[in-house]
Amino acid sequence: MATVINISDLRVEYPSRELGSKTKVAVDGLSLDVQQGQIFGFLGPNGAGKTTTMNVLLGFVEPTAGNATIFGVSVTDKSARQRLGYLPELTYYYKFLTPEELLRFYGKLFRIPKAVLEKRIDEILAMVELQDARKRQIKTFSKGMQQRAGLAQALINDPDLLILDEPTSGLDPIGRMKVRQIIQRLKNEGKTILFSSHELGEVETICDRVCIIHQGTLREMGTVQDLVARHQCNLEQVFLRVVGYEGAVPSRPGGVTV
Amino acid sequence: MPPVRTNVLALAGLVTAAFSLACALQVAMPRDERDNEPFDLMQTLLGDSRRMFANHFFVKADAYFHSGFYPTIFDNRESFETAHMASDAGVVEEKNKGDEHSFLGKPLDVFDRFSRNFFPAVHTHLDEGGAKDHDGLDGHDSGHEHKEGEHFVGDGHDHSHDEVGQGVREILPWLKMSSSLDPSRVETYTTTAYWLRSRLGKSREAEEFLREGLRRNPRDAAILFELARIFREDRKDLERARNLFEAGISSWQKTEPPKKEPNVFLLHQLMSHLAQLEEDSDNDLRAIELWEKVKLVAPDPAGPDLHLRDLREKMAKKPAK
Amino acid sequence: MNNILAVSSVVMREMYRRKDFYVLLILTVLITLILGSVNLFNDSNIVRYLKEICLLLIWISSLVIAITTSARQIPAERESRTIFPLLAKPVSRTEVLLGKFLGCWLASGIALVCFYLFFGIISAARESGWPLGSYLQAVTLHWFMLAIVIAIALLGSLVFAAPSSNNTICFIVIAGILLIGRHLHKVAVGMEQPSRGILTLLYFLLPQLGWFDVRERITHNWPPLDVGPFFLALAYALVTASVFLFAASWVFNRKRLQ
Repeated sequence: MATVINISDLRVEYPSRELGSKTKVAVDGLSLDVQQGQIFGFLGPNGAGKTTTMNVLLGFVEPTAGNATIFGVSVTDKSARQRLGYLPELTYYYKFLTPEELLRFYGKLFRIPKAVLEKRIDEILAMVELQDARKRQIKTFSKGMQQRAGLAQALINDPDLLILDEPTSGLDPIGRMKVRQIIQRLKNEGKTILFSSHELGEVETICDRVCIIHQGTLREMGTVQDLVARHQCNLEQVFLRVVGYEGAVPSRPGGVTV
Repeated sequence: MPPVRTNVLALAGLVTAAFSLACALQVAMPRDERDNEPFDLMQTLLGDSRRMFANHFFVKADAYFHSGFYPTIFDNRESFETAHMASDAGVVEEKNKGDEHSFLGKPLDVFDRFSRNFFPAVHTHLDEGGAKDHDGLDGHDSGHEHKEGEHFVGDGHDHSHDEVGQGVREILPWLKMSSSLDPSRVETYTTTAYWLRSRLGKSREAEEFLREGLRRNPRDAAILFELARIFREDRKDLERARNLFEAGISSWQKTEPPKKEPNVFLLHQLMSHLAQLEEDSDNDLRAIELWEKVKLVAPDPAGPDLHLRDLREKMAKKPAK
Repeated sequence: MNNILAVSSVVMREMYRRKDFYVLLILTVLITLILGSVNLFNDSNIVRYLKEICLLLIWISSLVIAITTSARQIPAERESRTIFPLLAKPVSRTEVLLGKFLGCWLASGIALVCFYLFFGIISAARESGWPLGSYLQAVTLHWFMLAIVIAIALLGSLVFAAPSSNNTICFIVIAGILLIGRHLHKVAVGMEQPSRGILTLLYFLLPQLGWFDVRERITHNWPPLDVGPFFLALAYALVTASVFLFAASWVFNRKRLQ
């Protein structure tokens, strides 16, 4: 299988606001890769470095050291994002645009031919169930509708790689189910998906592989089954043990890390 | 939380009390002259700073007279100390120095030189056509060369049918604005009236405007002079013109002598016009008397001397009664 | 270029869906018509004062539209977090900035055309003849001046913390340059060193916005400008705007978005 994402010895430092230290290390020597067709869960507590890592992949932040590639292209090159779709955690889009206009705008950025783009807009709006609201301005949308508009813009270019940041955050159970269905459908089409979530139940259900990072470093990586078998507990307990809440989980001898 | 009704009632009570107090104080306050003046919104809004605005608009009218070619506060203004529109109208004595065509001076740098393409840079007057035939750059100027003495007496000719001079109408809005802000500035009324009647053929409007000025500045000699000119030059009503000239002279004699610098220019205007009127009416003795007085205040006695000589010759030729 | 045009189209759509332009146009029309209805010595042919006031209102309105529109572009994107899904597309920060500039500039240009059309109607109603050459020159020079103003406001939006402070500073600087910019050297000549040197340097460094202000010529019916100075001024505007845009791009590319 081809490697879609390759991160090698990634280090990201920010200027620190704390007294006595000049920089804060957000990611420290992270190395991982994501294979084509996988759904890869990117886990970690708040402040672990997940968002920073995703920002590097998306080109928002330049790494201090190390490198990252998408489909073999350095993330600093804008062409790395040609086959990428991104759904941010907080879905705010241009309130004065309609979803149709929003998709048309993003579609132009991908240089999708006009006829193809119009057809794609119709398909995606139907997929996310926004066809009735296609001519309404986004400022009139509910939270759930905004989330679906976000998913639509992430799919407009028929991406081979999707980066989803908390895709089910703020959704009701029906909304979450629909998002899971869409993700599964995309997987069946051979897409690669990297997503971060705090809903470990969801992660267990749909992810092929997961990694857990904490304080900027990679602590565990593997398939869900491997991790569960290795630690002899469910994924949530594995997570808590890895991030240092030993007291919450009975320890077992012979725990193996990456 | 107190009910809304209580708040509303309290507010209404306060407003009523404030209004009652104001009425009571108003009755008790001593009346002064300003109470007799009609309500003026600008006076209320701007207070005494309205004079500053009035001056600004008066200068703006002069800038319009020059089709925008006018010195800023950063330029040499000595050739524009006296508004040209007022001196050309003969309502004030010109005290300008320096070259009015080149107050900008030589360009200081390449940017300054280049920038002169973008704003008016040639001296013109609206009553002579203004910017119509200029490109604003080459210094070509159909500028009117003022003849000796021309500033002191308006030429008295009716130019109201000359299309070229009609552009002077554009200065009127600013003069009107200036007069409403500072009614005590008499030259606003006299300048406006001159251009209204001499170039635009609007002697009725000129008279109305002067009468408005006279209401605000009772017995003002300059306004009386301009009114007299309307009756003499436009209405051909010599009797009323004579009365107005004499009223103007009488008013001058009451108000000007105590001043440090009496307005001798105005007295010269009044007396020379009255003398001319008497001469035109064949009242030769009266005319001689007046020209003798004009000679005392004229900057150049040659003009009055000429009139006196002609009158004496004329009287000598008349058969004795 | 495709990306720049796509971003600019969104900016233009935003401008005509906001109310600023319509409010300013209506205000300009109302004030001009009210002033035009004043009886001035029963003369209905007086027009220059009306032209001057109308042009002043147009200039104020155009500066308000240009500065407020461009000053809020990048900060609004960051605040609403729409910058992230945008930069996750194959578009560089420089392209986004240039797209914002082009959108603001084109939108301002359309607004100017509307304003000047009204101005033309007002002046034609009272004057015989319509100096089309002069008016076209005036609109073009005004529009190119706005390019400089928009570039300055965009740079300011990246340098200053709040859009409100950027707005205020831009208004003060632009108004100051228009009112006294061309006189600075005259003032400097009458001063002692080092003030003289500083003021002279400022005079040469500040954009010469006064070159684009031909209101006096239009009001008083001076003939059109010669072709040489006209095109030189336009070229100057493009070069100056480019300098500010280059600086803005440099700052934007180094700015942390989170």
